[in-house]
Amino acid sequence: MDTSKQKVIQKKLPREVYNALKNVVGEQWIYEQRSVVETYSKLSIEGFSFIKKHQKDPHVLPACVVLPVSTEETQAIVRICNRYHIPFIPFTNGQVFCNPTTPDPTLIIHLSRMNKIVRIDVDNMNATVQAYVDYGQLQAETMKRGLWNGGSPLATSLCKMGSQFAFAGLWQTDLKYGLLNRNIISVKMVLPDGEILTTGSRCIPKAGDFWEYGPGPDLLGLQRSGIGTNGIVTEITLKLHTWVGDEAIPEVPGGRPSLSDVHDPKYDSPAAPLKNHKLYWVEYKDLAAQINAMIEIAHSGIAIGLNATGVYSAYYCSQTQDMTVERCKNKFFPAYNCYVILANITSDKQIEYEEKVLQQIIKEHGGTFLSESYKPDVLEALKPWNHDCIRHSTGYRMNRKMYANAWLPQGPFENAFKTSREWKKALELFGEVDITDRGGADDTPFIYALQRGHFCFFETDNYPDPTLPEEIMKAAGYGIYGAATFIKHDMGPMLMAFLNAEPFTTMFPEAGPNAHLFMRKVRKVFDPNSVASPGRQVFTEEEWQQFPGEIKAVVNKMRALQGMKAVE
Amino acid sequence: MTYYEKKPEKKFFEKELEDYRESVWGCARCNWCQNQWGWNVKSAEFSEICPAFHEYRIFPYSGMGKMHIARAIIEGDFDYEDAPEVVKFLYTCTTCGACEINCQRLQDKEPLQVNEALRARFVRDGAGPMPEHKNLIKSVKNYDNPWMQPRTQRDRWARKLPIKDVSKEKAETLFFVGCTSAFDNTQWHVAQNTAKLLLKGGVDLGMLGKDEICCGSPVARIGDRETFMNLALRNIELLNKSGVKEIVAFCPGCFRAITHDYKEIPKAEQIKATVYHSSQYIDKLIQEGKLKISGKLKMRVTWHDPCHLGRHLGIYDAPRRILQAIPGIELVEMERIKDQSWCCGGGGGVRTAFMDFAQKTAVKRLQEAHKTGAQAIVTACPFCEQNLGDALSKMDNGMELYDLTDLLIKVLDIE
Repeated sequence: MDTSKQKVIQKKLPREVYNALKNVVGEQWIYEQRSVVETYSKLSIEGFSFIKKHQKDPHVLPACVVLPVSTEETQAIVRICNRYHIPFIPFTNGQVFCNPTTPDPTLIIHLSRMNKIVRIDVDNMNATVQAYVDYGQLQAETMKRGLWNGGSPLATSLCKMGSQFAFAGLWQTDLKYGLLNRNIISVKMVLPDGEILTTGSRCIPKAGDFWEYGPGPDLLGLQRSGIGTNGIVTEITLKLHTWVGDEAIPEVPGGRPSLSDVHDPKYDSPAAPLKNHKLYWVEYKDLAAQINAMIEIAHSGIAIGLNATGVYSAYYCSQTQDMTVERCKNKFFPAYNCYVILANITSDKQIEYEEKVLQQIIKEHGGTFLSESYKPDVLEALKPWNHDCIRHSTGYRMNRKMYANAWLPQGPFENAFKTSREWKKALELFGEVDITDRGGADDTPFIYALQRGHFCFFETDNYPDPTLPEEIMKAAGYGIYGAATFIKHDMGPMLMAFLNAEPFTTMFPEAGPNAHLFMRKVRKVFDPNSVASPGRQVFTEEEWQQFPGEIKAVVNKMRALQGMKAVE
Repeated sequence: MTYYEKKPEKKFFEKELEDYRESVWGCARCNWCQNQWGWNVKSAEFSEICPAFHEYRIFPYSGMGKMHIARAIIEGDFDYEDAPEVVKFLYTCTTCGACEINCQRLQDKEPLQVNEALRARFVRDGAGPMPEHKNLIKSVKNYDNPWMQPRTQRDRWARKLPIKDVSKEKAETLFFVGCTSAFDNTQWHVAQNTAKLLLKGGVDLGMLGKDEICCGSPVARIGDRETFMNLALRNIELLNKSGVKEIVAFCPGCFRAITHDYKEIPKAEQIKATVYHSSQYIDKLIQEGKLKISGKLKMRVTWHDPCHLGRHLGIYDAPRRILQAIPGIELVEMERIKDQSWCCGGGGGVRTAFMDFAQKTAVKRLQEAHKTGAQAIVTACPFCEQNLGDALSKMDNGMELYDLTDLLIKVLDIE
């Protein structure tokens, strides 16, 4: 059937519900107009939302968008949803991995009005922010006070604290500071049934908001990376760390572009790394040398950040889509590389010492520092990272058509070998899309070293043309195959909640084992009416029965490729 | 061809909404259309960059939202009649270009062009623009200006000024005055100042006088491409026929139209003269020693970059150099400047159709200006001056508002 000119019909909330919500937020902050809900329907990196848009599936259109301004308004909205059994999904930017809606008329709770920094406690080195505050805002305010939140996921404005909390929060200086989730002191959230939960020492009268433990059981862990299933976080208190740089990030020396010259490379060549910070790029002869060197650097206790960037260098450091594609194809950047960020947190002597250690390790592993005399053009091209790895400066560029599907297993460094081997098999199995990250096959995967190298992420991705459904489907295949691969080969879960997202939770009962059954029980306790982000982290039995058979079949096909039995 | 050269493609004014299909499908929802670049953020208070999203907080008002609406319309997911609210989303955009420059730089996509293509589609199909804009278009068609003023009144501001009429005698340099400075008598001072400064610099100055017509910028931004192209072709003919070697425009809207938009009309003849913004030309006169600053002005000021002058055309330095050339002036910068500047709120037809929102945006800019400790905010755009001026008159923060030429006149020996 030709659906090209078929309109997509939006479902509406019952009037009773709409009016109740309107009474909470006021008419100005509730929208059910067709064009408004459209802008909350196609997500940026969720392949199935693209497919469903191409298929004109009405289920991806929310029924209504509501914008609370406080925890209390959020609570009132959630209570209405419980009273009328209306599914709701909390929303910040929509750059998420999960479907934004359900087959029933769904309410989007957009947190964009909750964008205040509540307080910065310099003495106790922490800050309390509302859910929609982003890294750029927090860093600007804390750096003035000689503090920061430990790093930046490049996209300082993209990443709102609420969604980072729901999805772990990955950044470039995790080697020293850990994920955002490791930096949470307390949260205030609205549970799926409408209760308000506050965690940590702030619950104890006059104790202050400085410690993650409070009276009663520690519920914070259940909420971390919960992808919105167990409630809506409205306020977060984060640890702050000492910042040794200037109050502000220096301007790009090339000046400021205008619309007519925006792609001129002179506007894209940042200055040297920030005061008191140093960034080193190293090239290795093969993946083994790179991994072994990275393990030693991570365990040596030096540096605040350690990452291998792989194909991402082409994305971040290119001015245009065409340039990105060409650099990927021509392998302009070294296949096996990593960068190391040193910072003199305590003294000038510290950085001197760390440099010595770094040079020794690189020498032992046959690595080569990129320098003025060795690949200066590559070093020059990589300059945007000078600041971007600390705080977004020249651009969190995607310069790619669509970020379709990622493999993001986590585990010890050694798992990088497993990841690359399996990714190579996937490439042979599925073929390439518009841009394919060959990380592991003949390039490094993106490696994020966390927690002094005790843990890592290994990311490989591909980027189809978003206007071509068949390409998106091919790309989606990688992701599903990846889930089967991680389980089969014991590569660890996908940390950014990927494998805790449906249909993977239920379709890979080997994880846990049977983690989905336990998670269902947890969900039932918090969400007796099954209205909070339904089907996102774990299906109820009823939701599982209603889940489309064709997607079940695709996942079972991928399980079969790994010799695993079908899940019915 | 290098990476940095633009691909050969259709001219802007012949592009249809469908030409942006790949771009709108590829919107990454990165949010840089709503926010300052990370490195430019100096405070949480002034971290956002899109006035409409800042005010209304939902996506359709942002560049990202327009990309999604455009995709749905291109794919036929809904019709305008299903969504009469869209027209408000399209026309609360000030066309400041903040979304465009951030997206072009970071994602290589063009949300402002998409919004302008949406506006053009709505106008073509009768679904837009806003009712208030229809009066403006009618005025441009009937009177060749958007202010419903008779053509005979166009040169009243220039009485007693020795400016040549290029229809009668030859001149080297033409002052393209623009409708707002010509017809709004509260803006006459800017036209008069500019002319006096150019004459003082020894410029052989002429003007079109009553023959000058609207540059077309207001109708182009509103999406009436047909009316714009008619005006543009008439202007190209008029300006080329005048035989001048240089054109100086004061209004950034006119300046953008003549230097940029006219080139985007398919198969149109090009303007032969070199076109300058008045700040560029005056800066040149000062550099060449033809304008000698004799006075002193002890004042702490901040510069507001008009969007069409700065972000659209890259003129950031000339006006700042002029201010710094005035002895006694201390220039202090706001947090959001140059390519990351915050719009005054008046552009893109917003002041015509959404005065309250335009004024709220201006108040935000004035608060930012006040935070610098400056006693005055200086700019060089009639629309910025109108919009900021109205907002300032309702505030009680002691700040003053000047056009750049107001300050220069004070320190040059000009009557």
